[in-house]
Amino acid sequence: MRPESLAGLAATARAEVAAAVDLEGVEAVRLRYLARRDGELTVAAASIGRLPDQERGPMGRAFNAAKAEIEQALAERRSALLQTTRAQAAEAEWLDLSDPAVSLELGHLHPSTRIQREVEAIFAQLGYRVVEGPEVELDEVNFQLLNIPPEHPARDTQDTFYLTETLLLRTQTSPAQIRAMWAQPPPLRVITPGRVFRRDNPDATHFPMFHQVEGLCVDEGISFSDLKGTLEYFSRSMFGPDRAIRLRPSYFPFTEPSIEVDVSCFLCGGAGCRVCGSSGWIEILGAGMVHPQVLRNGRVDPDRYSGFAFGMGPDRIAMLKYGIADGRDLYENDLRFLRQI
Amino acid sequence: MLVSVAWLQDYVDCQDVPSARLVERLTLTGTEVKQVREVGQGLAEVRVARVAGLRRMPGSDHLWLVDVDVDGGGAEPVPVVCGAQNLHPGALVPWAPPGAVLPDGLRLAVRRMRGHESRGMLCAPDELRLGDDHEGILLLDEGAAEVGAPLSAVFPPDRVLELEVTANRPDCLHHAGVARELAAALGRPLRPPDLRLPARAGTPAAERVTLEVADPGDCRRYRAELVTGIGRATTPAWMAQRLRAVGQRPLHPVVDIANYVMLDVGQPLHTFDWSKMGGGAAPVAVGVRRGRSDEELTGLDGVTRRLGPEVLVITAADRPVGLAGVQGGAGTAVDPDTAAILLEAACFAGTTVRASARRLGLRTEASARFERQLAPTLPEVGSARFLRLLDQITGAQLHPGPVEAYPGRRPPAPPVIIDGARLAGALGLPLSLERAAAALRSLEFTVTVADGRLAASPPPDRLDVAIPEDLVEEVGRVVGYDQVPATLPGRRQAVGALAPAPRGAGLALDVACAAGFDEAITYSFQAEAVGRRLPGAGRGQAPVPLRNALGPQWAWLRVSCLPGLLESCARNQARSLERTRLVEIGHAFWGPAGPDQPTEPLLAALVDHVPGGGAVEAAERLRRLLAVLALIGERVGLSPLEFQPVEGGEPGWHASRCVHLSAAGRWLGVAGEVDEGVAASFDLRGRVVAAELRCDGWLQDGGRVPRVHPVARTPAVVEDLSVVVGERAALGVALRAVRAGDLPQLESIRLLDEYTDARLGPAHKGWTFRLVLRDPTRTLTGAEAHAVRDRVVTILSLAAGARLREGG
Ligand SMILES: [Zn+2]
Repeated sequence: MRPESLAGLAATARAEVAAAVDLEGVEAVRLRYLARRDGELTVAAASIGRLPDQERGPMGRAFNAAKAEIEQALAERRSALLQTTRAQAAEAEWLDLSDPAVSLELGHLHPSTRIQREVEAIFAQLGYRVVEGPEVELDEVNFQLLNIPPEHPARDTQDTFYLTETLLLRTQTSPAQIRAMWAQPPPLRVITPGRVFRRDNPDATHFPMFHQVEGLCVDEGISFSDLKGTLEYFSRSMFGPDRAIRLRPSYFPFTEPSIEVDVSCFLCGGAGCRVCGSSGWIEILGAGMVHPQVLRNGRVDPDRYSGFAFGMGPDRIAMLKYGIADGRDLYENDLRFLRQI
Repeated sequence: MLVSVAWLQDYVDCQDVPSARLVERLTLTGTEVKQVREVGQGLAEVRVARVAGLRRMPGSDHLWLVDVDVDGGGAEPVPVVCGAQNLHPGALVPWAPPGAVLPDGLRLAVRRMRGHESRGMLCAPDELRLGDDHEGILLLDEGAAEVGAPLSAVFPPDRVLELEVTANRPDCLHHAGVARELAAALGRPLRPPDLRLPARAGTPAAERVTLEVADPGDCRRYRAELVTGIGRATTPAWMAQRLRAVGQRPLHPVVDIANYVMLDVGQPLHTFDWSKMGGGAAPVAVGVRRGRSDEELTGLDGVTRRLGPEVLVITAADRPVGLAGVQGGAGTAVDPDTAAILLEAACFAGTTVRASARRLGLRTEASARFERQLAPTLPEVGSARFLRLLDQITGAQLHPGPVEAYPGRRPPAPPVIIDGARLAGALGLPLSLERAAAALRSLEFTVTVADGRLAASPPPDRLDVAIPEDLVEEVGRVVGYDQVPATLPGRRQAVGALAPAPRGAGLALDVACAAGFDEAITYSFQAEAVGRRLPGAGRGQAPVPLRNALGPQWAWLRVSCLPGLLESCARNQARSLERTRLVEIGHAFWGPAGPDQPTEPLLAALVDHVPGGGAVEAAERLRRLLAVLALIGERVGLSPLEFQPVEGGEPGWHASRCVHLSAAGRWLGVAGEVDEGVAASFDLRGRVVAAELRCDGWLQDGGRVPRVHPVARTPAVVEDLSVVVGERAALGVALRAVRAGDLPQLESIRLLDEYTDARLGPAHKGWTFRLVLRDPTRTLTGAEAHAVRDRVVTILSLAAGARLREGG
């Protein structure tokens, strides 16, 4: 074995590397010459240790040079081949990524459901529990126990679907106040979301069916200021931290005092616009302190306890918040509408 | 309710107050101002004119050539081209001459239209800001003003407020009452109406009239005054202007004054022509009683209506002459020649008038007020006001009286008492009793303060104030709710329940949405026929009918959500939307109809509709739908959902693609492909797959609470297993059998592939399963793994007739 034969070996290997057409071919050449146990160069190197001292040096250097030469050739060839493969893949595996082109078909919650969940979450933070009441209600609970006897003018504004003399489709979620008080003595904090029904033919602002959320808080020492604070907390959570609220005296038979609540317009900030009708205020809910007779009807002692109640329409809030112009869209289930939510 | 600011000025100084402040102050007392209309602005240049003649413009189907007399003298008529269709010769109309500027800024000129000269224009109400009407020219009442006078003589400048008055406040349906609110809101003094009566003379009314109220429950007070010697006169301009400003049309003095008084102090009045009542020397018996079903009466509106026991009537000699509190009768109506009247100022029961008006299908300004229950003290206010105005305007002789039945007279109610601590506590606002008393006095309450308590009597027409909470409201709204601090109840006492866990139905909805279903909300009512076509989970349930449905299409409460969803699919199909996948979770109603509330089951319904889809596609969608249901069961169900194929099908569903859904042995609902004929009956093309199941009692609030098993870290043996089965072999049955087979080392089994292949033989199919075998404590030997695999094959052959595929 002479240093020249090692150089020859390297030259042969280099030629073989150059001839390899893919990465597997390159790897085969590497194994043939440099495999740890039986590579040709490895085998040749094994004999170096047995050489006389004066020959060992030149042969060792020749071995290192040959190994480096082969490794460099391998690396260069690998690199060249990868370049080629990359270029070929760029051509053959081109992909249009300007658009996903497929869609993950996620469904959408109905806007009223979405708002209802927001309302529930806000009041959950204040310690309210969600309870439900029946949609077919007794006239007694829907009206009479809420201070609305037969022939009361308030029934005019709530044209009612009847099933029998005494059974009706609830016109409001307020009967849930009575049922909540029956179910649990104070302290009590509940909200009741659900469907309500009025005998109105559908148009852009009237529907025979829509949604309400009723809230009730009864405890010792509950004051009007607590109602105001609660509604302010709700309005800012729902419509934004900069919102102001305005309480207007109003009338509901089952609360005293009664108020209607306006929130400063979240579109124009109160300057006046089409949505708020130039007043800067948008009416969002009705509320009041629970009438002492209603507390009594709920088997709660009005001399010891007081409370407040409020009611709002998620449909209306959805219309305001999402800019829904025609309320009929809420109940037609047109996919183009639902999929925007 | 329309109120005129000029009219309010009689009672409180307010004409100097800017509109924005009027709106704000009144709105914050609880009487919402919907709109402020500036009337009579810029009308000085518009003139009252008369249509002298008119003819069609040749060649036009709508334009008129009008000759207009604009000065009432002998001057030549002015030509005006007009497009309105309500003109007639002699009509009194507003004419804007060339050069005049209308309230909207339009400047008029002499124009030529199709060769005809037009000098100025005749105006519609909206062009003058006197109303919203643009249909025709404003026709002025004869005698409203001289021809040639400025229109501002008919409509002087004023502001008209449109108020929304709540049902408990009939005292805000008239000017004096609104003025009281405004005075309190502005902190200005209130001037009371002039209630002095003219002198009485002649035969006492009691000698001419007797009164009988049949039921004091219907009529708390009936007050009649006899007036004779009424002179001929016209309604004074100031009164006509005010009536016009609030949308009333002046007729003649007696009627106008009665109308005016109602709008002024709130008492609806009625005037009977005394001679038509049979008035003379012999006394007339006037009665208030219920109608009889064989009676009828022609009202002032000319309509003859059948009476009945729901209708309260006024009678003369037991003959109906008026619909009490609603409308007078035509036979006793006053006219311009009337010289003597019987004036009625009554307090009818609100519920009675309401029932009458509803029965008659007739709602009037009077009935709307009576329905809200007026105060029994109001008749004397109203009649005094009327008599004084009549005396001033027409001259009249008021006979000694009145004749009165007052069966509903009560002693004055004791004052409402509230102590200072309760008042401040209820409002959450520290407030001195003196300040509260001042607030109440500004609303004409009589108030005394003593021993830390406040005793208040409302003015007699405020029947809505009866309990301490009412005082809280009165004080609160005068002081202003903006003065009340905002607090939260939390500072006092914690409430037992904390934030609710997300509810089961909501979680199920989230799963369905994640699987691509959009949430729909459909009506709770449906046509019975529709409900019967595909009752879904409501199969066999009795539907409950509505007594007063909006129409046959909504006559029944739904037993199932599916028909509503299919109707929504059809709507989307009609709008060319490609594929509709909808989910609804809501209540249905299961009868029987009866005295008790029906059951309100919570149903989850899903539909997937592909217009034009075929059998293969439907099969794939149905399997996906079942997978979604299984996922809902896995995430939210109290127990896993089971599918039980229905042999021979189920009405409404595909004969062989229908499956019952159950959990823990309880039937929950049904899924499958909707029968082609049923789909077609909803106008749906192609295939529809659907499912509906009852959720209450199955869905778990807060979702299933997971129980975690330890994860084994030993290596697994993964094996694929191919078997051949008959083409109708049931995968669900096979997998249930394997899972029930007590094979602790079988970690999982799932179907990799189902296929048919000619080599399997006719009427056969192949299943390839992937088995993961593992023992948690040690590495399985090859022999052990084989034993488990063989056991699986045995179970499959017993449960599904499977045999190992050669080479599998
Ligand atoms: Zn705005």
